[in-house]
Amino acid sequence: MAENRFQAIVEEIYERFKSYGVSRKEIENRLKLLLYEFKVPEEEARRTIINGLRKNYNIVKGDLKPSITKISEIEPNTWVSLKAKVVQLWEPNSPAIAQTGLIGDETGITRFVVWAKANKKRLEEGKCYLFERVVVDEFMGLKSVKVTSASEVKEIDEPIEVKDENAEVEVVGALVSIQQNSGLIQVCKLCGRVVKAGVCVEHGKVEANEVLRLKSVLDDGERTYDLILDEKIINSLTGIGLREARKLAEEHLDRGVVLLELKKRLLGKYLRVKGELRFRTLNAKSAEFYKPRIIEEVEKVLEEAGA
Amino acid sequence: MIRTARREVAKRVFSKEFNASKFKIGGEGEKEAVYVLTPLGLRCNRLFIVGVLLEKEEVKPDSDMWRIRISDPTGAFLGFVSKFQPEALESLADLNPPEIVAVTAKAKLLERDDRVIPLIRPETINVSDFETRDYWVLETAKATLKRIKAIERGEEKLAIEKYNPNLEEFRMTAIQALMKLKEEQSILEKEEKTKEEEKDEEEEKDLGFELDEEIVDLSDFEIGD
Repeated sequence: MAENRFQAIVEEIYERFKSYGVSRKEIENRLKLLLYEFKVPEEEARRTIINGLRKNYNIVKGDLKPSITKISEIEPNTWVSLKAKVVQLWEPNSPAIAQTGLIGDETGITRFVVWAKANKKRLEEGKCYLFERVVVDEFMGLKSVKVTSASEVKEIDEPIEVKDENAEVEVVGALVSIQQNSGLIQVCKLCGRVVKAGVCVEHGKVEANEVLRLKSVLDDGERTYDLILDEKIINSLTGIGLREARKLAEEHLDRGVVLLELKKRLLGKYLRVKGELRFRTLNAKSAEFYKPRIIEEVEKVLEEAGA
Repeated sequence: MIRTARREVAKRVFSKEFNASKFKIGGEGEKEAVYVLTPLGLRCNRLFIVGVLLEKEEVKPDSDMWRIRISDPTGAFLGFVSKFQPEALESLADLNPPEIVAVTAKAKLLERDDRVIPLIRPETINVSDFETRDYWVLETAKATLKRIKAIERGEEKLAIEKYNPNLEEFRMTAIQALMKLKEEQSILEKEEKTKEEEKDEEEEKDLGFELDEEIVDLSDFEIGD
């Protein structure tokens, strides 16, 4: 059995019993004994240790539901169990990642990653799950929950109200960058990931859908937003929809032309965007070129500056 | 997550403030970003500029390294574009100064002997327009005035210690930029009004002329039969 799985079980049990004064060492020793000397199956060993501890410390069964941590309370470098809804799935940018996105409960939202090696059933957007033995880490100040091979994920049939799930914001900023995988691109019919030369990293050779979308960066001088623009919004800003984009690509025998054209029309422009904000990702619901009458604002600033 | 390295914000700063920079900070750890510290305490790694591309000139023949100057109401940014900025290099090829451009660029300090030269390395250059430029000037003036206030409150100790900046001078450049904007706006509005009036007059003249000369036989317009 893998070392990390062993440690995950120890951690899980420890988390549940630590308030009763159980030490990690004690759990480790028992688990080693059962698993390695007596070759007991893992699930049996786990149950036996939990039952044993419960008896030792005189704990009534009802008091010992697997403790569920709220997302607002997760701390880096701990193992936890969560009940959460999959709020959003993003396209993984590494083959080591099976799925990534955001999960939320009534206290907050966090990023999550399911490692490809964890070999889990695919999660679906909008469904609720019990995530057992997941590990919390922190990178560049952002917490994230990792589903590893030691974790269990079960779909649950209870609704979870996610805090601020539909928080809508309005942002004015300059479009300073358009990322790769933008423009007229082909995505896997099964998972929606970008297909390169007809091959999806997850599903191999697949049928692909052609879509028009932009992953860009909106910057207001104070912070940046990863801005996602869909076909409808791209069309409303530039007059280029899926049909026009296909025509352009056919005329030039090159899909890349569409991206070049969109860059020409959008880069360096100020946009006013309304949409849903999750961390830094802004999913645009509507967008327009920002062309305010600036004279009043200029006068106001001058007045404030005492000029 | 792999791609979570935080993207550097593109700061708004006038060339006068940026060009007075002499110090950089950060860059100590291998992955720590380097920032140019301006006299008003702005730490910038990336800039967003809308201004006039005044010059583009190949540094040496066939080097494909271009020196550019981009002006704003307070002065001009010096920039270099080479094969390391492929997107900017491609756009630059199609541009003929003078032209209004929107630029996203990395902020750099070049140290030569005992001189320090602030410059920019553009990532993208795009044709822009006067409206966008005006909004950029407004936004940048606001950001400048905000930095001045922060220094007056005693924040940004490092900038005060390193530069002891002349706040009045920077305040005046921001205010002058706004005044110019105000002037231009009112001229624009007047022009539009005059144009409309002229158009009205011309239409009247037009009409009078046709009636005087009786080129149009009014009887043609009678609805008969």
